Amino acid sequence: MSTKTIGSPTSRPVPELLPEQKKRITPKRPRDYVSWAVAVAIVGGLVTTTVTNENYQWPVVFSYFTAQSILDGLVLTLVLTVASMVLGTLLGLVLAVMRMSHQAPISGLARLYITFFRGTPVLVQLIFWFNIAALYPNVSLGIPFTDISTPVDVNALMTPLTAAIVGLTLNQAAYMAEIIRGGFASVNRGQYEAADSLGMSGFTRLRHVIIPQTMPAIIPATGNQVIGMLKETSLVSVLGVAELLNSAQSIYARTYQTIPLLIVASLWYLIMTMALSVPQSMIERRFSRSTRRPAPVAVATKESLL
Amino acid sequence: MKADGTIVARQLHKSFGSHEVLRGIDLSVAAGEISCIIGPSGSGKSTLLRCVNGLETVDRGVLRVNGEDFGYVETDNAYHAVRPQRLAEQRSHIGMVFQQFNLFPNMTAEDNVISGPVLVKKVNRKVAREQAQKLLAQVGLAGCGHKYPAQLSGGQQQRVAIARALAMEPSIMLFDEPTSALDPELVGEVLAVMRDLAHHGMTMLVVTHEMGFARDVADEILFMDGGVAIERGDAREVLANPREKRTQEFLERVL
Ligand SMILES: Nc1ncnc2c1ncn2[C@@H]1O[C@H](COP(=O)(O)OP(=O)(O)OP(=O)(O)O)[C@@H](O)[C@H]1O
Ligand SMILES: [Mg+2]
Repeated sequence: MSTKTIGSPTSRPVPELLPEQKKRITPKRPRDYVSWAVAVAIVGGLVTTTVTNENYQWPVVFSYFTAQSILDGLVLTLVLTVASMVLGTLLGLVLAVMRMSHQAPISGLARLYITFFRGTPVLVQLIFWFNIAALYPNVSLGIPFTDISTPVDVNALMTPLTAAIVGLTLNQAAYMAEIIRGGFASVNRGQYEAADSLGMSGFTRLRHVIIPQTMPAIIPATGNQVIGMLKETSLVSVLGVAELLNSAQSIYARTYQTIPLLIVASLWYLIMTMALSVPQSMIERRFSRSTRRPAPVAVATKESLL
Repeated sequence: MKADGTIVARQLHKSFGSHEVLRGIDLSVAAGEISCIIGPSGSGKSTLLRCVNGLETVDRGVLRVNGEDFGYVETDNAYHAVRPQRLAEQRSHIGMVFQQFNLFPNMTAEDNVISGPVLVKKVNRKVAREQAQKLLAQVGLAGCGHKYPAQLSGGQQQRVAIARALAMEPSIMLFDEPTSALDPELVGEVLAVMRDLAHHGMTMLVVTHEMGFARDVADEILFMDGGVAIERGDAREVLANPREKRTQEFLERVL
């Protein structure tokens, strides 16, 4: 028998540990080691092949990594991202307000817009806007009930860049509208009633009570949209807008170094999304904390809430 | 005279769609009086209370709060809804305490309390903070002003909610089952604050299931069932010797 009786004369003298004080030990199981072995094997294999396979042409990657046209493309990608996000958020806000309207025709219009723009591929929308002149060759901008008007040549107006910004913005607005609406839906009815019962005006209620409470839902989701938009801009390369992917494509169209240039573009996308994900996860952590147990005193003492 | 702390309702009617929730309610609360509304679930107690500060609109009947028609102005043949600013002004003289507290979670307890004075009455922030600290002390929460609602117990939150309503210096306080969402051991602390308020002459209209509180504090009791005031009278009298059979049955069930 391997069991020992406490206090039996044969037991080794061990430091007296009460049962309450004893550590609980869970043995490592084989799968804990196997998972490590698998992960190391996969990563090791990938690293080996990328280093040893000549076809990756790493020297070419490095030589083009900071080429002027690549950097110009990078800047344009960022400009497209910022422009479409800002415009898309503003339009999304308008759509969200319309969507929440008690007037059925107004909310219906917004709903129609959102259904349409979320229900068709962005790529198709981009090509559509680029070719809009086929539908409306001339538009005349004027003031109703007056003779003042200027004809506009749509074909000249819809340059690849305009089509790109219009397409990305209109699409983004549909998603932002739903995010903003979701933020408002997350605020309890009782909050409106409490504000009303204090005699707050509609604007004060919105500004000091409702909007601050929509932010924990809206801001992290918007951050995700920014990261998504950054990658989505690569679609406008089909319109010939010289953003990052298109710039890489123009080079390999000449040199046939397709793979290395796609790697150059991918690395830049990766760097930018990783750079964006740092503030994004900070924002997410901050807001998930404040919805549960807010309040390190530093936040509590700020008087910015009112 | 303005904000005299009275409530008068005659033949109030209110429907949600085809469902008539208030079917000709009469109510009269004099200044400084405590009136409790009791009755089974769905009888329209909350709806009546919410009509008194305009969270619900009245379909028909007379509703005078603080000595003036509430939410509407009377003309020869109709009542016309007042503008939102006027409604907000009338509401600012009526404090409301909700079953679910409804504190603003994005503000500290003290910011909650000063929200009315600062944002509505445009009281100087420093003055409002001093007043808020007094009010928080009055409800037994001195020193808790920096905490967020999520860091407070239910009983503490409800007391902050009372302080927030009081900060507007209302002439009438409405309470909709203020202790129903609380753990039993926290009910007492909220009722104590309400008793204190009653002793200081505040006009109070209270929907409650706390019969002990009603017996001790209320001047009048209104028993509602099915949108109708079944019985109305002196609180101790109604509780001890209910005249109506339905009142008797209800009291037997809850006591
Ligand atoms: N906004 C609304 N829309 C439709 N029906 C409603 C609305 N508010 C209340 N009702 C209905 O009106 C009736 C009375 O509701 P009310 O909340 O006034 O009852 P109550 O006496 O307060 O009940 P409880 O004790 O459960 O709080 C219920 O049948 C309820 O379903
Ligand atoms: Mg109720």
